[in-house]
Amino acid sequence: MTLADYKYADMIHRCFRCGYCKFPVNWMDVNSCPAYARFRMETYSCGGRLWLTRAWLSDEIEWTEHLAQILYTCTACKNCEEKCPLSFNVDILNMIVAAKAEMVERGLVPSAVKEFLENIERHGNPYGTARARRGEWTEGSEIEQYQGQEFLYYVGCVGSYDTRAQETARTLGRVLTRSGVSFGVLGSEENCDGNEVNTLGEEALFEMLAEDNVRKFKELGVTRVVALSPHSYNAMKNEYPRFDGTFTSFHYTQLLRDLIIGEKLDVSGGFSASVTYHDPCFLGRWNGEYEAPRRVLRSIPGVELVEMEKNRAGALCCGGGGGNFYTDFLGGSESSPARTRVREASATGASVLAVACPNCMTMLEDAVKAEGLEDSLAVKDVAEIVAAACGTA
Amino acid sequence: MDVVVCVKRVPDASGMDALVIDASRKDIERRTLVAKINDWDEYALEAAAQLKEKAGVSLTAVTVGPDEWDDVLRRALAMGADRAIRVDEDMLAADCHAVSTVLAALVRTLPHDLVLFGAQSEDFGSGQLGVMVAEMLGIPHAALVVSLEVGEGSVRVDRELEAGALESYAIELPALLTIQTGVNRPRYISVGGIRRAMKKDLQIMSVSELGLTAEMLAPQAVLERLETPPRGKEAELISGPPEETAERLVGILRNAGIL
Amino acid sequence: MREILVVAEHRKQKVADISVQMLGKGRQLAGQAGADLVAVTIGTDVAGYARELSRYADRVLTAEVSGMQEPLAEPSQRVLSSIIRDRKPFLVLIGHSSFGMDLAPALAVELEVPLVTDCVDVSLEEDGLRAVRPVYNGKMNAVYSFALAQTVIVTGRVGEFPVGEGDRRGEFQEVSLPFGPLDYKRFEGYTEQEAAGVDITEANVLVSVGRGIKDRASIELAERLADALGGVVACSRPVVDYGWLPADRQVGLSGKTVKPKLYLALGISGAFQHVVGMRGANMIVAVNRDPGAPIFGIADYGIVDDILRVIPVLTEKVTGLRS
Repeated sequence: MTLADYKYADMIHRCFRCGYCKFPVNWMDVNSCPAYARFRMETYSCGGRLWLTRAWLSDEIEWTEHLAQILYTCTACKNCEEKCPLSFNVDILNMIVAAKAEMVERGLVPSAVKEFLENIERHGNPYGTARARRGEWTEGSEIEQYQGQEFLYYVGCVGSYDTRAQETARTLGRVLTRSGVSFGVLGSEENCDGNEVNTLGEEALFEMLAEDNVRKFKELGVTRVVALSPHSYNAMKNEYPRFDGTFTSFHYTQLLRDLIIGEKLDVSGGFSASVTYHDPCFLGRWNGEYEAPRRVLRSIPGVELVEMEKNRAGALCCGGGGGNFYTDFLGGSESSPARTRVREASATGASVLAVACPNCMTMLEDAVKAEGLEDSLAVKDVAEIVAAACGTA
Repeated sequence: MDVVVCVKRVPDASGMDALVIDASRKDIERRTLVAKINDWDEYALEAAAQLKEKAGVSLTAVTVGPDEWDDVLRRALAMGADRAIRVDEDMLAADCHAVSTVLAALVRTLPHDLVLFGAQSEDFGSGQLGVMVAEMLGIPHAALVVSLEVGEGSVRVDRELEAGALESYAIELPALLTIQTGVNRPRYISVGGIRRAMKKDLQIMSVSELGLTAEMLAPQAVLERLETPPRGKEAELISGPPEETAERLVGILRNAGIL
Repeated sequence: MREILVVAEHRKQKVADISVQMLGKGRQLAGQAGADLVAVTIGTDVAGYARELSRYADRVLTAEVSGMQEPLAEPSQRVLSSIIRDRKPFLVLIGHSSFGMDLAPALAVELEVPLVTDCVDVSLEEDGLRAVRPVYNGKMNAVYSFALAQTVIVTGRVGEFPVGEGDRRGEFQEVSLPFGPLDYKRFEGYTEQEAAGVDITEANVLVSVGRGIKDRASIELAERLADALGGVVACSRPVVDYGWLPADRQVGLSGKTVKPKLYLALGISGAFQHVVGMRGANMIVAVNRDPGAPIFGIADYGIVDDILRVIPVLTEKVTGLRS
């Protein structure tokens, strides 16, 4: 492809390098683009990437692995879209994804991304672990296979295979059961939702996954999906309809909120701690859901909810999006977004950092250890706090 | 210049599936295994694709296998092969000599200046096919090639020896090379690329069309059975979260006087 | 008199260890079959090798070929096909080395005899020879027998066969075969691996990374751990293939053989080609996500976990200890 064929050829040059894409909503520092926070070079900010893309497609610069890595450090957090003052801001992330798509088509992706994509295609998850083992996380629990229950509880790759996230998956299952929700899981029949694949630019693979999932859900008569991960929630709510997906999707915090309000879930057992909540990008900026998780936390006696300075639309991404929970391009430094975010959480004085996404969970828990804060800050999923409060921890 | 690359489809054993010997004791349970292109062949294909990009050679990918094996040929087509040919025969139970006979018979019908094989396969790893085919075709060969440079009517290669040493040759074409890993970085093949490759030419042939009889393919080395090897002393496993395992490991290293 | 023929390879002016191992197995089988063990050495100035070989064989054939200081497959093939057609040994043993891989399959086709490569055992049963070779990256073994064949060729894996006593006094026999130079395949020379900045064979502690390190950037994590432990970073082949570390850091068959006090195998599956380069280490500790990884079969201690999780925690603990 040349610049002329690039979908956004008529607007990519419009970035006038104002640099706003790196600022958070409240303007408090210049570190809200997670890749920029990590590397502190313009190339790693959205504007930098747009200009590099333009130069690459115009043959002004050659592809190198470094160029690919710069593009793939984008976690698709949408902070840039939130802050860009120009009218094309709704498309700036799409422009980065389109550039990644071009690299994918030419086969020019970093090897970790190649592995990520090949593993998903072959095994249905980025880790390359056998499909047959995807349901193992339910062992020892009372969670049942989906057979037409009211909800399909969709877990996703991280929740199915990552040992820490598996705990969260089981805990949420117990909470749903305690609330009398009728649900089932797909277990080893579950396939990747494809959200990351989409942000990595592998469009055809994403289509394959989405079509496969939609077909499977139709065959099983799924009408409502509750997702553990905001990534899955995002893909199913916003992308699957164009593949004829006719079911309704919820993030689990939305369902828990409704259950608490509807008095089907009794959290009066309480949970005594000061808690700060980290907004996941795919629930927050991507889907505007900032209040449901907070509503859930506030309804638990003993929870003292404190906000980080960067919250809601201004939240700093944990750095796990865009496949980075696997490729780890943003790790390895105290400037990595996960460690920065954990320091922000610690600064609130809270003893618990609440998350609502298994990617955030793995990224932030590792960061707490790297920061040596294990004794003062615990990372817990909202489901885990609710479980403690309703007596099924 | 005409380049032919031979590729194999192998089970993907990286998924941490336990590989299990099946009831016949001569094969593994394949039902749950995903298949992929042989790692070494990916490097060979990438080398050929790069030759095509640089020097505009004509590239044909070939294999011998049942119809599921079309997918590795599609991958070759997506990487730039002009056409692909599959000899329709399930030869998983055949020995190397038989498979080489079929491949040599096929390559003989094609214009071939440079024939590339992966140095060995991920499943059986005998490392025989390429060199056998070269001998059957009566062309010079070099195995375990880690670098190649095609010139006018010849190719310069470095062969890998033990301990990092290299052996260099200048070989007149037509020649056959078996390619070692690390010779290049195989590109990612997108799902879209494979789809577009569906439109390219994939030809199916039969063993009899190549003038081969069952007698010519009789096995010389007969697989009696597969068996699990005796396991030596297993490692003492330390379990728990990283906090605990790292702590215990440090203790072990201290006791051993390493720390 | 039946014969077993061992094709001896020489490297850097001495008989290669793998060939001495083939002779060890050949001696055992020759004893069982009541056969003669014959070694053949092909190259330039081979008298020295012949003397060494005569300690293990009943007879040593020497074929002087000019311009062949180190073994070359094609001229060796010419010499061997003539010898084998002439002497008809019932078994030919060749080391499964780079030379062996370049030679044996072509020789087998030329002679139209069966070949099984990379064997870890060869035995003589009542109804004939059996050869055993590892498959599926060592997860299982395949056992082969042979259809009626006068001669069978087997290449053997290094380090699997015991070395014999070396107390024989074999007879020498010169083999001379005229053949011209091979213009179509011109040998152009050797390159030894360049001397590196870091010599991993000297290190007491090696922090060795495999595919599981996932990316070049993560190698820094391994470097920090190596620093903390007073060691050096090494790797398995895929890491060099991907260009993340230079070849002088590679441990294994096509890399270096090391014997450190501590070998930390991080994200390394334990394929044979790697293991052969490090199994002599005093203590081997393996970390790998896959509980079925072959490395756990040779390690002293193992942790089943993601190395990207374990390495930073381990670094922290070691550093904490040191301070």
